[in-house]
Amino acid sequence: MTEILYNSLVAAATVSTPILLAALGGAINRQGGIVNIGLEGKMLAGAFAAVVVSWQTGSVVLAVLAAMLAGALVALPFTLLVTRLGANEIIVGFGLNIVVAGLLGYLLPVVFDVFGTLAPADLARLPRITIPVVEGIPIIGRVLSGRDPVTYLAWLTIPLTAWFLYRTRWGLRLRASGADREAAEAAGIRTMRWRDASSVVAGIFAGLAGAQLAIGVVALFSTTMTGGRGFIALAAFYFGAARPWPTAAAAFLFGFFDAAQVRLQGFGVPVQLVQTLPYVVVVIVLTAVAIARQRQEMEAVPA
Amino acid sequence: MNIRLARGGLLLAPFAAALLVGAVVLLLTGRNPIDTYGLLLAQSWGSGSGIANSLSQATPILLTGLATAFAFRAGVFTIGVEGSLYFGAFAGAWVGFTFGGLPGFALIGLAFLAALLAGGVWGLLPGILRARWRVDEVVTTLMLNFVAISLTSYLVNGPFLAIGTANSMSPVVAPEARLGSLAPPSQLSAGFLIALLLAGLFWFVMSRTTFGYRLDLAGSSPRFAAASGIDLRRVILIAMVVAGCIGGLAGAIQVLGVNGRFIDRFSPGFGFTGIAVALLGRNTAIGCVLAALFFGGLNNGAAMMQLFSDIPLDLVNVLSGTVMIFAVLDFTRIRLLRHAGVTPAVSIAPAEAPSAEAGPGP
Repeated sequence: MTEILYNSLVAAATVSTPILLAALGGAINRQGGIVNIGLEGKMLAGAFAAVVVSWQTGSVVLAVLAAMLAGALVALPFTLLVTRLGANEIIVGFGLNIVVAGLLGYLLPVVFDVFGTLAPADLARLPRITIPVVEGIPIIGRVLSGRDPVTYLAWLTIPLTAWFLYRTRWGLRLRASGADREAAEAAGIRTMRWRDASSVVAGIFAGLAGAQLAIGVVALFSTTMTGGRGFIALAAFYFGAARPWPTAAAAFLFGFFDAAQVRLQGFGVPVQLVQTLPYVVVVIVLTAVAIARQRQEMEAVPA
Repeated sequence: MNIRLARGGLLLAPFAAALLVGAVVLLLTGRNPIDTYGLLLAQSWGSGSGIANSLSQATPILLTGLATAFAFRAGVFTIGVEGSLYFGAFAGAWVGFTFGGLPGFALIGLAFLAALLAGGVWGLLPGILRARWRVDEVVTTLMLNFVAISLTSYLVNGPFLAIGTANSMSPVVAPEARLGSLAPPSQLSAGFLIALLLAGLFWFVMSRTTFGYRLDLAGSSPRFAAASGIDLRRVILIAMVVAGCIGGLAGAIQVLGVNGRFIDRFSPGFGFTGIAVALLGRNTAIGCVLAALFFGGLNNGAAMMQLFSDIPLDLVNVLSGTVMIFAVLDFTRIRLLRHAGVTPAVSIAPAEAPSAEAGPGP
């Protein structure tokens, strides 16, 4: 049993990467005042771009860049419709998810002559990096070493995001734009631009997440490959109240659930029940936070 | 008159935008949009069997559309009808394959009752969270959808897996539980009539009763409603439960009318298309009927088109996603924005639905 959990932990280090990246992007977007329900579509677009570019050029660097660009390209109409045309962010995010999935599902047979899955032979994949000294450390060595570069980049993004949001002037402006638009406008901050920027960054992160999924974990594109990870990412940044460290912790936890469910199958633990965990956890956390908030409010009001 | 014309034009804008986006996609991939749309139209509404299948496709999304519209009218932003649909479908199927000895009428009635109950309870949960502790219902209902899909999947892969089937599905329901077919050999069942009846009831309740008036008021101006003595918490609970009930009914009708059993992950997003139906129909009964016919025809036409041409079914998703997006655009704001730098709060037309609050959580 301990071995199974340990192996799950080792696997989770890679499995959690797409959730982590998308969740951090979603957290930045949320700090900018926009709930991004469309991470799924951006991730899918990134996965597609990564596979096509890796296939055509043989370069994983170009493939990763293309995935980031694809995520940003989907994010742009999303954010402009929300900030400039006052469209409801939930509906637009949902709608774009459907459009992206539909468009890619349409393109596979029409342009590439395949249905559902695009798996070119000898697709260039992300390399695995073994870190010489770290590798030898007992227990955590296998967790930390032997990952793909995007995973290391994702880990690096956690402190960077935290530093950016809480320690830089730009981060402050971004948070101000999200927290109180009118006050921020009054202080001379161009809130719309900051909100748009946060959406584009979320798109880039989600695109990167898609690339890791498509050319890091497996070497193919499928129209169902994101499998709800965009929504698990949403659960993660809600769990973390859009703060980078708690969000990342939730992403790792949900990644661990994901890795463990496959390994626990042999022990009679139903996969489907484990799959509900991230969503159940988030509903419980949101409820607990809301109850605590209400208690505080009641104490604040003099009797 | 001009204002009326302009308003009518705006109602049609989402359709026009979707057809345009679809046309661009078709043109860029070397297909003729006019031929494609012509084929789509002919397949969906050009023959008796085509019409029957389009109406059959319209049935579940008319119900999920009405469910969503009801909640939106009351100012509750639920996207959880999909979850209720799954539980309603399972409950309906369970009655259908468990109580086979009962006469048809009783069996179907019992199945519907179970579906209403199951769907309603699934809607009640986020309803209580929102009414009691103000937990954002957008997020909870979205999350609970995935819980419902996985839980029902567990039920038909474990305790209720039909013996002798490798695929994850429940046993078939008793023949007496099946809804009557309206136009064999198509899949159009009496479920369509039930959906239409419910649309009529929706119209009656919303425009002819005090209850409907109070619900509308709570949705459009909650402060005024509260000041005039309407209990907003009760409205939230009612809206969530009724939306859940209708969603559950949609699931049972799909099981008893079309599939004949509960199949793991059977819904291609009926609950989510329901959101598009509600938005496009401006949360009105007649609007929902028209929008459901549009999407029903689209789904059926595209499925047929995939058989007769090389245009994949996925094109429909491009169209329906675009319709959804354009249905919430506020075109009147384009002009205003040049002057105002601040965006007003997001809203769902025509009722103001509370959206996820701006800014990160507490």
